[in-house]
Parts: sequence; C-alpha cells; structure tokens
Amino acid sequence: MIRTIIIDDEPLAAGIVQEFLAGFPQFHVLELCQDGFQGMKAIQQHKPDLIFLDVQMPKISGFEMLELLDEPPAVIFTTAFDQYALKAFDAKAMDYLLKPFSQARFKQAIDRFLENWGKESREEMPESELTQLAEKTSRLVVRVKNDIKIIPVAEVNYFEAEDDYVTIHTAGGKYLKKLTMKTLEESLDNGKFARVHRSFIINLNRITGIEPYERDTYLVKLGSGVQIPVSKTGYARLRQVLGL
Amino acid sequence: MLFNAFSNPRLGKWIIPGAGLVWFLGCFLLYQNYGLEMETSLVDAFFFASIFVIGVLILDQVFGLFSPKGSNLWLIFLVPITLSYLLVYGHRMLLRWWFDGDEDYLEFLDSTTFLRLSVLVLAEQMISFLALAVSKLERQEELNKREAQMLQLSKDAELAQLRQQLQPHFLFNSLNSINALVVSQPQKAREMVLLLSDFLRGTIRKDSQAWTSLEEELNYLKMYLQIEQVRFGHRLMVDFQVQEDKDGVKLPQLLIQPLVENAIKHGLYGMTGEVKIVVTGKREGNYFTLEVKNPYDPESAPAEGTGFGLSSVARRLFLLFGRTDLLESGTQGSQFKVKLKIPQFQ
Repeated sequence: MIRTIIIDDEPLAAGIVQEFLAGFPQFHVLELCQDGFQGMKAIQQHKPDLIFLDVQMPKISGFEMLELLDEPPAVIFTTAFDQYALKAFDAKAMDYLLKPFSQARFKQAIDRFLENWGKESREEMPESELTQLAEKTSRLVVRVKNDIKIIPVAEVNYFEAEDDYVTIHTAGGKYLKKLTMKTLEESLDNGKFARVHRSFIINLNRITGIEPYERDTYLVKLGSGVQIPVSKTGYARLRQVLGL
Repeated sequence: MLFNAFSNPRLGKWIIPGAGLVWFLGCFLLYQNYGLEMETSLVDAFFFASIFVIGVLILDQVFGLFSPKGSNLWLIFLVPITLSYLLVYGHRMLLRWWFDGDEDYLEFLDSTTFLRLSVLVLAEQMISFLALAVSKLERQEELNKREAQMLQLSKDAELAQLRQQLQPHFLFNSLNSINALVVSQPQKAREMVLLLSDFLRGTIRKDSQAWTSLEEELNYLKMYLQIEQVRFGHRLMVDFQVQEDKDGVKLPQLLIQPLVENAIKHGLYGMTGEVKIVVTGKREGNYFTLEVKNPYDPESAPAEGTGFGLSSVARRLFLLFGRTDLLESGTQGSQFKVKLKIPQFQ
C-alpha cells in the first residue's frame, strides 16, 4: 500500500489525478487538500509516501510548503507552468507533470516513482548552478508551531546561522527556518542584504553605524541597538556594496 | 493647453526681433522719402519699431494664455485695437519729449498720428489672428500625437491581453479542467470547450479601440467568470449585480475584464477557503460606474503580478478620456475595492 495525498487548489485538477491513480490499486489516496496549509497539516498527520503537488496555490506556493517540512515525502509536481521545472529538480522532485497531462505520461511518473521508491535516500544531487539564476526571493515562509507565517524579506533586520537552521530576526520577533546560509545568501538581493560574517546576513537598510572593534574586525550597528560582528572579508564586502 | 505662437522656441526665436527690424527699416526708408533728417528718421523709426515689438510680445502672451471663442470672440478685435491706441499714445508722448522744440518734426508727428495708429491696428490685428491660428495648429498637432500614442498603446494592451489569456495559468488550467471532466461529466466538458472557445475568440476579435454595448461586454465577462468557476468550483463565488441597461450604455472594449481578473487573482491566491467576488454596476448621471470587490489579506505578501492589471486600465482610461480620476482603488477593512467610472456621451 502506497499512501498518497493530492494537493491542488482546483478540485477538477485534483480529481483527474485521483482518477488516473485509480488505475494503480496499490496506491491509496488519504486526503485531497486545497492549499499548502491543509497540505502541511495532512502530511504531518499521515506521513504519506508520495504527494502530488500543485505549485501556484493560495497564500503559499507548493515549493514554500515543501520548505516547511522536516521530512518531505516524495513529490510529483503537477502544474501548468513550465518555468518551475528547474526549481522542481532542485527540490528533488520525482517528476514534473505539465497540465494538462495524458494518462500515459501519468503512468510514466508513477513508474519512475515505483522504481525509486524504497531505495534509501536517492542520490544526492549536486546543488544546481542554475538556482543562482533564479529570481530573488521576496518573502520567506516559516512554521510557527502549527501555524504558517509569511515574512516579506524587507521586514527582516538580520539573519543568524544556527547549525542547520537560520534565525530570522524581524521587528516583530524571531523565527527559525531550516536553511543553509549559502542558499539564503544566493536567494537574497545582494543590493539589499550582505553577508558580513560567517554567521550573519544583514539588511543594509537597517544599518545605523559601523565602528572598529578588534584588530581587522568591525561592529555594525542596526537600529534598536543590535550589534553584529563583521569579519575581515565581510567588511570588504560591506564597503563594496555601500560604496565606501 | 495653449501655445505662444511667436515666442515658442520650436518656431524659432528670431520671428519677433526679425519683424521688428523689418518694421524699423521700412519706417526709416519711408521717413527718408518724406524728407526727414537722417537722425530724426532713425530715432522715430526706432521708437515706432519698439512699440510694435512690445505690442507683438503682449499679444503673444495674451493669446498664448487665453484663446477667445464663442461669445468672447470680440476680444480678438478689442485687445489689439486698445493695445495699439495705448502704444501709439505712449510713443507720441515719448517722441514729443525727445524732439521738444523741433516744430517741423512735431507737426509731422501730429499729421501722421492717425496713419500710425491705423497701420499699427492693422498689423496687430493680423498678428492676433496669426497667433490664434498657430496656437490652434499646435494644439491639433498635440492631439494627433496623443491619438497616435493611444493607438500604439491599445495595440500593446491587446497583445498583452492575448498573452494573458494564452498564459499557462489560464489556458492550460482550463484545458486541464476539461481533461478532468471528459470522463466524469462529458456534457460539462463540452460546455467548457464551448465557453473557452467563445472567450478566446472574443479576445482575439475584439478591437480595444472600439466601443461596445454594456450587454456585450457583460456577456464576455460572465463567460470568463463561468470558466473560472468551473476551475475553482465552490471556492469562487460571484455576486453579479449590474443594473439592466436601459439607456444604451457604451463601454470601451476589454476594459472591465482585467479588473475582474485582477480581483480573482488576488482574491483566490491571497486567501484560503471560499472567496466571494462582488461586481456591481449602475448608471450614475453621466457616468457608468462599475465596482469590483474582493476579499484580501493584508498579512499576505503581494502575489506575483503580471504587471498588466490596474495600471494598464488606468493608462487606457487616461488615453481615452485624458483623465486620471476615473479609476479608484483601495482597501476597506478586509475588502479590496476598485471603482471605475466611464463617462457616457449623449
């Protein structure tokens, strides 16, 4: 028995996945979800083996929902947009079905899933160079207990690395998100944010002052009295973006 | 908008001084012919040419700021006549003072005053007519330019509109719905195919320059809403309250659909759960007003826009009517409201 969840905001679109899936008796559909919030809750509750996921959905996209999951299940994306294919590849999707799709194409996706399913952790793919070309992100989606919060990046004061996580500091509080500093740095607009230290990325708009600290290092002051250490390379980078 | 006919830099800045110079030379030669002394001729011609230039400058300013028409048309005669009289009077005083004691000259001045006045009135009258004509021409040119720009923009709008409809977002998802309906509800699938065809045909055929009846535009809008309702099922509710058209309301084509599309996009993608779009329309005096409301969540970061929403509608309204006050939008609690006013002409 392979347990699946279908997440799509259009009922008919979810319906056709269900209809095609009925041809494979080993699959069992646990739930149909209409948005990422429902989807996340259903996934946490049922721990499915496979999800069919639409990209453009109310409030948070399919990708944003995936980011919130600690142990994401196998994913087959179903979307009318072809421009997300690369991003889906980065998200280690099993397959990417372009709407409208045929039953034959659907079967291919299922076959691909069955082939890989059960193999412990699929080959770790090298992080695609192409992600760097992707659009800069304008918002971050975080999980607060069982709720989801959307944070526009402009509201962020600074980011702080903590092991596998990043703490997002905003005026309204701080949030934890599973993310590497490298991925984060690449997804931010480097005219607005700068990595000033191995563990810190700051919002350039919040800078109120910079002062020397110890040998070769500096402290950058952000509004509300926060002081962030700046490394030697961080200072060089800061000088460059601020045009000092 | 009015234009200064003679001091407009585009028409060359030498027109007024040039005319003054010709006037000066003409008068000088004339006085020589009458047997006046060289110096006297020069001074007189200089003063006369100066008042001529001053007169032209004043007329240029006056008719640049104000274009008489209709019941004010008499001003086009009165202004140059009054002006000429004042100028000739001033010029005579000036020459009398300058040549105080020169009896021969003063006699000559007295005898030519009326001649001077008539010549000046004639000239200034001509200039007024010319100034008005040039100003009218310039305005016409500006209008033509705006029209050409508008044609280009409406073409762009049409193309963008087409691109919009042919976007995967709308077209492919609609096709996907049909794909889903074919087996379970074949009758509904056929309905959807016909709706989608009619809608796309409408988009391609429509000429965004032309005006159309309210009824036709509403049919087009309803078709669009029906397709979206098939796609989103019960999540999308539409409250359509447009007064039946008794007065032959006319609208520019393809103007209101983008507003509704915008409402659906922000309503459906900014909110979870059911979303109700309210479309109300009625005739208010000389305007047809249309209001589109959708729920919205101020917390939700803006959805990725296509750039072709409210701004293009506002732009088209400006090009059609030369006004920027016809489209208002804003939030009212948890509702986003767009209000469109379309002037109706008899």
